[in-house]
Amino acid sequence: MNFSLPRINPDPAGFEALVCLWAQAKDCLFDEIDIDMSATTWFSADMCAVFGAILYRLGENLNTVKLKRIRPDVESVLSKNGFLSHYGRGTIPDRWGTTIPYRRFDVKDDRFFSGYIEMELIHRPEMPAMSSGLLKRFRESVFEIFSNAVLHSRTKQGIFSCGQFFPKKHRIGFSVTDLGIGIRQNVKTSVGLDLSPGDAIAWATEGQNTTKRGQIPGGLGLKLLREFIDLNGGRIQIVSDAGYWMRENRKTVVAPLSQPFPGTVVSVEINTTDTNAYRLSSELSATNVF
Amino acid sequence: MSNNLVLSIFEVVGSPLCVASSDGQKVYDRLAATLKEGRGVILSFHNVTTLTSAFLNAAIGQLYGVFSEEQVRSLLKVQDMETDDLGLLKRVVETAKMYFKDPQKFEQAIQETLGNDSDGT
Repeated sequence: MNFSLPRINPDPAGFEALVCLWAQAKDCLFDEIDIDMSATTWFSADMCAVFGAILYRLGENLNTVKLKRIRPDVESVLSKNGFLSHYGRGTIPDRWGTTIPYRRFDVKDDRFFSGYIEMELIHRPEMPAMSSGLLKRFRESVFEIFSNAVLHSRTKQGIFSCGQFFPKKHRIGFSVTDLGIGIRQNVKTSVGLDLSPGDAIAWATEGQNTTKRGQIPGGLGLKLLREFIDLNGGRIQIVSDAGYWMRENRKTVVAPLSQPFPGTVVSVEINTTDTNAYRLSSELSATNVF
Repeated sequence: MSNNLVLSIFEVVGSPLCVASSDGQKVYDRLAATLKEGRGVILSFHNVTTLTSAFLNAAIGQLYGVFSEEQVRSLLKVQDMETDDLGLLKRVVETAKMYFKDPQKFEQAIQETLGNDSDGT
């Protein structure tokens, strides 16, 4: 089976293209899947987590996936972050150190993920100078996203992540994708609410909503992330099922995608010039916390 | 609380990154065993650099499902915690109290939020 892929940016059009690819290829079994990337004039490295998750699912159906006619500049980007090494090509050195490598993790790989974040993101010499408060909140946010995938996705197929520094834009993009049940289905089975995919994402980011049940409470991870992005001036995009949710400049956009994604994507872009102190000014002390 | 147990999170987790729910569970197991004996415990965050709500929910939030607020308040203390981490812990604690205290009210809050979200934002 032959498929083609257009330009992929970290935006609704990019997600739409990738879910369409999934919709077209998902029923392939024991097939050879050739993806023609001659029309892919750009592939944003932080979208590799989404693309990689889709290709992994296709591989689980015992298909042979081949990426063909990749343009040199795209091949360079996808080789630098190690993505193409999963598909028969090598890795090339990242001279400017702007890529955060593509990786797949199992849900029990939290220590491995922590090491990856520390080594490939936080302590990288190329990491832009950020205030200590911002760096701390960014690091916590990345771990909240991973924990959220571990706790809620019920995935058995792993969690995919990658990122990209944008030095001129003073931004860092980072994405985490899981191949789990998705937010809509989770809200439906755990809470009994049958929402549209977009509304389910919006629900999960609001107030005290949580799909957690049992002895360990939850429901803070996505709210903390949203609050951080609001203060930071960055952007968060979430795709789950056929829903797209985006928050930027304290405004939310919810839109449907034409096809469902087989899991959940959380993609953040943070503003590295943010000078917020990120310290609470309240009278909170260790003696009144409980 | 002169005979309090001092529990080092760094020692229990073995890392300054206290981010995984499974690591929080290890802390909870020790805290719960101590509180069940009616003994006080000081939870030290010395050398901990990164916390998540997932970790704190497992380590501390779930205490409120087993122990009363009064028990937790009188027996559990924290030390060596930065102010912003205290803020996160406070939110975890408040969420946990609501989660366990009044399940019906919690469900109602969910439904009300759903109603407010009918415009999709």
